[in-house]
This record gives sequence, C-alpha cells and structure tokens, in this order.
Amino acid sequence: MNRFKKQLSSYWLQAGTVIRNEFRTIFTDGGVMLVLIFALLIYATVYSLAYGSEVLRNVPIGVVDECRTPTSRSLIETFNSGPNSYVAYEPTSMEEARELFYNRKIYGIVYIPSNYDRNLYGGEQADVAIYCDASYFLMYRQVFQELVTAIGKTGAMVEFQRLIAKGANLPQAQATVQPVIYESHNLFNPYLGYGTFVMPAIIIVIIQQTLLIGIGMVGGTWREFGLYRKLCPPGRRQMSTLPIVLGRGLVYAAIYAVTCTYIFGLHYRIFHFPMNGAPWSVFLFISIYVVACIAMGIAVSTLFRYRENSLLLLLWTSIPVLMLSGVSYPREGIPEWLYDFGKIFPSSHGVNGFIRMQTMGASLQEVFAEIKWLVILTVVYGGLACIGIHQLIGREQHENGSDSQ
Amino acid sequence: MPGFVHNVCAVLEREWGRLTHQPMYFVLTVFLPVLSFAFFALLFNRGAIRDIPIAILDQDNTTLSRKLAQMIDETPTALTAYDIQDMIEGERLMREGKILAIVQIPAFFEKSILSNSQTHLENYVSGANISVNGLLSKDIQTAATTFSAGIQLQLLMKQGLTEHQAMAQLMPIRFDRHVLFNPLINYGYYLAPSFMPMMLMIFTVMVTVFAIGTELKRSTAREWLRRGNDSIIAALAGKLLPITAVMFLVSLVMLLINFRIVGTPLNGSLAVILLGTLLFILSYQAISVLIVALLANLRLSLSIGGGYSVLAFTFSGLTFPIMAMWEPMQWVSRLFPFTFYTDIFVDQMLRGTPWIYSIPDLLCLTLFILLPMLCLPRLRKVCTEQKFWGRL
Repeated sequence: MNRFKKQLSSYWLQAGTVIRNEFRTIFTDGGVMLVLIFALLIYATVYSLAYGSEVLRNVPIGVVDECRTPTSRSLIETFNSGPNSYVAYEPTSMEEARELFYNRKIYGIVYIPSNYDRNLYGGEQADVAIYCDASYFLMYRQVFQELVTAIGKTGAMVEFQRLIAKGANLPQAQATVQPVIYESHNLFNPYLGYGTFVMPAIIIVIIQQTLLIGIGMVGGTWREFGLYRKLCPPGRRQMSTLPIVLGRGLVYAAIYAVTCTYIFGLHYRIFHFPMNGAPWSVFLFISIYVVACIAMGIAVSTLFRYRENSLLLLLWTSIPVLMLSGVSYPREGIPEWLYDFGKIFPSSHGVNGFIRMQTMGASLQEVFAEIKWLVILTVVYGGLACIGIHQLIGREQHENGSDSQ
Repeated sequence: MPGFVHNVCAVLEREWGRLTHQPMYFVLTVFLPVLSFAFFALLFNRGAIRDIPIAILDQDNTTLSRKLAQMIDETPTALTAYDIQDMIEGERLMREGKILAIVQIPAFFEKSILSNSQTHLENYVSGANISVNGLLSKDIQTAATTFSAGIQLQLLMKQGLTEHQAMAQLMPIRFDRHVLFNPLINYGYYLAPSFMPMMLMIFTVMVTVFAIGTELKRSTAREWLRRGNDSIIAALAGKLLPITAVMFLVSLVMLLINFRIVGTPLNGSLAVILLGTLLFILSYQAISVLIVALLANLRLSLSIGGGYSVLAFTFSGLTFPIMAMWEPMQWVSRLFPFTFYTDIFVDQMLRGTPWIYSIPDLLCLTLFILLPMLCLPRLRKVCTEQKFWGRL
C-alpha cells in the first residue's frame, strides 16, 4: 500500500513538472505558439473571410442575337431576371464572343439563330444554343441553371399562350403546360452558401492538423533538449510514461478548450454559420474529438527527432486529410479502400459527426457511430503514445548511460 | 563573370554533399511529392460520382408514382436506399448521415394527373454538402422534367396531335447544350491538376526554407557565403538551383500523371505550361528566400511559409470563384503566385486559349521572382552576423 502511495505521489510530482515545463516550452516559442494557438484563429478567420460572400452571383455572359426581334429581346431579358447571371456583352458574332471568353470577360455564351421568332410563332420548335464553361464548376452550375430556367419559362409561356389561343380554359392549360410542379428545397443551407458548406469541415481539420504539427514540434524539442532526462525528478532512475502522456495531453486540452470556445462560440456567430446542435452535445462531441487528436498527436510526435520535422513532414497532409473526410469531394467519388484508410484520422469522423450535429441538428445518439470510432482511435493512439514515449525514455536513458561512461 | 560561375560551382559542390548526406532533402523533393501526386491520382480515379443514397416517400403508391420513383432511382447520381413511411423517419435517416435527399410524392398524384389537374413533387435535399446537393438536384430535376414531358406528350397526342407536333407544342424552345472544355463534367480532370501543383508548391517552400534555414540554425551560414566568395547572389544561386532542377523534374512527373493517368486534356500549349511551371517553382523559391531573410529563424519561417502556401488554394478561385469574393479578398488573391499559375493551366490545359492570353499571367509570376530579391542585402546581413544564428 505504501509503495502504491509512493508511486502515486511520484506520478503526481512528475505530471506537475511536465505540465509546467510544457506550458513554458509552448509560450516561450513563437513557432509553437503560432501553430498551436494562432493558426486555428488565423486560418478560421481568413478562410471565413474568403468565403464570406457565400454565393456566386451576377456571372457575366454574352448573347449573340442573330434574330434581333422583340421576341429574341424578351428572351434575353429573361437571362437578366435571375440573380446568378447577367448579359454583360452582346457580341455581333461568335468570333467576337470567343475573344471575350478568352479574355475572361464572359463565362457563357447564348446563340440565338436568325430563324428563332419565325419558328416560335410558326408552331415549330425554335433552337437556341448554349455554350457553358465547365472549367470552373461553380460558374458552370450557376450559369447553366439560370439559362435553362429562363429558356424553360419562356417556352412554357409560349405553350400556354398557344393553348389558350386554341380555346383551352386556364386550369386545363396550366395542367397541360406543367402537369407536375417540381419543387426542390435545400435543407440546412437554403442559399447553398459555400462558406456554410465548407467551413465546418475546414475548422475541424485545422484542429487536428495544428495539434499534430504543434505536438510534433514540442516532441522534437523534448528530444533535441534531452528533456526526458532533465525533467527526471531527483532520486528516480528514469521518468514514468503515464505522467508524461497525461500531463502533456492535459496542457494541449487546456489550450484547445480556450481556442475552441472562441471558434465555436464567437467566431461561429460572427460569420453566421449554422448552429443547430444542442450546445452541450456539441461541446461533448468536440471534446471527444480533441482528445482523439491529442492522442494521435502524442503518438506521432514520438517519431520526430528534430523540432522542424513535424511541419516539414505533416503540413502537406492537410489537404489530403480534408479530401478523405468526404466533404469537399463527395465520398461516393472516393475509392472505397481509400475512404476506409481515411478512418485512421480522427478528422474523418470528426467532420462528419460535427457537420451533422451543428449544421443539421443531429443528437448524440444519431452520431453514435462517429463517437464510437473516435473512442477507439483515442484508445489505440493513446496506447501507441505510451509505447512510443516509453521507448524514448529508455533510449534517452541508454544514450545518457553511454555518454557518462 | 567567369569568376561568378566559378563561385556558383563551388557552392554547388558544397550543396551536393549536403543534399546527398541529409535524407530529408530526398524525402521532401522526391518521395513525398510523388506520394502526394499518387494520392490525388487515386482519389480522383473514379471521376464520376454515382449512387448517392436518397429516400423516397411515396404517399400515393400507384403505377405512376412508382414509375416516377423508378426514374429517379435510375439517374446516375441518385440511388434509392430507403423507402420510408413518413417524413420523421426521413429526417432521422438524414441526420444519421444515411441519406442526402428525400423525394416526396404526394397522395392523389396519379389521380390528379389522369384527371388533367396539376399536382406536385417535392424534393428535400441536404444543403450541408453543396457539391452533392448540386449533383442530386440536377439529376432529380431532370427525372421530374422527363416524367412531366412524357405526361404532356400523352395528353397532347390524346388531343389528336402527331408526336412531332406535340413535341413542338410542349417544348417550344429547344436548346443545344455545349459544355465547353470539360464535356464529361469530370471532377477529376479539374481537381487533380489543381491539387497536385498545390503539393509541388508546399514542398518547394518547405525545402527551400529548410535549405537556407538550417545554415542559420546550425551556424554554418558564413561558411556557405564564403564558399560563394562572399557573393550572396552566387551563394544563393548555388543553393537554389539544385532544388529548382529537382522540383522541375518532379513537376514533369506531375504533368505526366495528369495527362497520362488522370486523363486531363491538353488543349493548349505545352510549352506555356512548362514555362509557367518553371516560373511557378522559382516564384515560390524567391518568396521562401524572402521569408527566411526577414525572420532569420528556421522554424518560424517554416510555420509562416507553410501557412502562406496552404492558403493559396482558397484564394485561387478554383472552387469558390474570385469574382464572388468580397473586394478586399479579391486583392488578397493576387498575393499568391498560385492564382496566376492556375489561370495558366485552366487556359492551357482545359480551354485551349491561344498562348498570347497567358502572357500577363507569366509576367505576374516573373514579378514574384524579381520582387523578393530586394531582400538580398538583408539575407547577406543575416548570414554574416552571428546574432541571427542558432535560433530555434
């Protein structure tokens, strides 16, 4: 019993030393502070500002009107009536239109042939050609959608007039023109804002990446400065593993408690991101997520010999990790095995669970699968972290021993 | 001049030893870049996105409503994963992440259609993921329009019109859609050539900062400068050229993966793309030099340089167009060479723009190479004064 008590008080002592030292290491080192504290705040702000306008409106298009009649004019006016595109130029030929296009003045071209109104009023089908630039996806979508809607509306108008002229009554004509009224409702993000869509995923990934890189930097510092030996309390042969892992983890958790509170409490409100989750459930989920990231961070940090290595080797993974979460690139497009591989990162589960909770209002039960995965990852990475730290202590001890001989 | 070449060669010789003895250089210039290219090539391998799970709430349960449900299921992107009984069940499935849209066919759907009165069809699509939303909305709308047109056609033919007349009646304006430059609307074509240069750039910045920064960290900067006969230009040239050469070779691998494996079209001039890529590498090297010279601290420089390079993607306008950003953000987007480089590859790979239109972009890239060189006096100072060395 006495021995157990002694062991515990030694643990307590060591954890205290580790925590004090860890805070000192972080707050006296600009590079580490930048990654562990400021990166999350700066990135979240800069990205939110970049996507601040949320939607793409008023994409300029060109119309080549060979018909030049009131009928074609009214079609052109319908292109201007929607919010997404407007007719910026009316070039006289396709050649001219192409030039404007190459100069990035317009992103779509509509060609109205000279027989447009003759066909339309002769009871024939009138042809119109649409050229849409698909080299920028959002542009393509906005322009194409608007043009098709405008043409559809004009066509329905003509059809309706023809039916009335033939003597149909109004409800009949309506039902013939549009037997099924199709309505599409966008849930959770009614205007399909880009920031609202991508920012939750980006923030969650940044939390993981800054933790991995930051903890890696501190881990490199421990080895470069031989802290595993220096922090050993007098009278002990070597440090114990558990106080180091828990002490360090506690420090990172404390820092992220502060920065995450700002991000999810204030930043989210400033930029009007959706907050549909129950606050305490979201808090609990993020806590579990951060713990999983810290465990992974400490486990990975044992691999780095020098302070700069974590940044050199891990920075590039940010974009692949974001991709693997299946948000900005839909998971249905990712090869199955690659998506499964992505599950080794807490972010894949964190992103999915968090978006469903905070954007869509899911409860903790409804993200149970993600929580389960995060807990499994915490246990696995926590175990690896202990093994890694234990190995390092042993190695440092060994090196030290050989030094003194 | 011959003296300068001699100095550069002397630095190159020293550099050769450093590059071959420090495995980090190989990892950063060859191994990780190629690994990351392979990742993106695999990621976008499928190209088209298919079978996104949705639920159908059929409150009518008639031949016509089932026909419509089947048409929706047969679209490329939608896959009916659940037939649900009420909206509550649908909402729960959506929150659990099992479906991304709910299509509701109301009661009396068939009856209304047969009695020639209007009915409706509701589609509730999750907006939490707008790329999925775009695909689903488009396909479900197409299915609904096709279904609706079929009904109209039958109605009109019942009134005694021929099929040709009926078509002209129900669709007075027909449009020919020409999807320019990316006719299959393939995500891979588009995203692979944008992410790979991102990786190339991150590693260029990392390795350049590392190469110069370690001289400061290990206090070997004066030795480096002395080898170049105290000419900072010679010392820098000898330091950067091997990296430029290796990164350019790696970028050739990148282009090869793009054109051969991903299958991105090459509609424009390969020469402009190659020139642009070389300038792109050089511009990020120049910026890295500027960062190290100003901060004189390896790790802080890596943090700042890394942060700066990762930001470039957002501001390139590839996913969220620059045109849509707030005015000040549009200015910020010009601070990244990547923005100009992506213009070049969109123009030259996808659009087949005449090369003359890419000249302004090439000039901007050149500017990014020349401007940072104003920091050379500072770099010289940093390399000669001991107080800048050995920092963390």
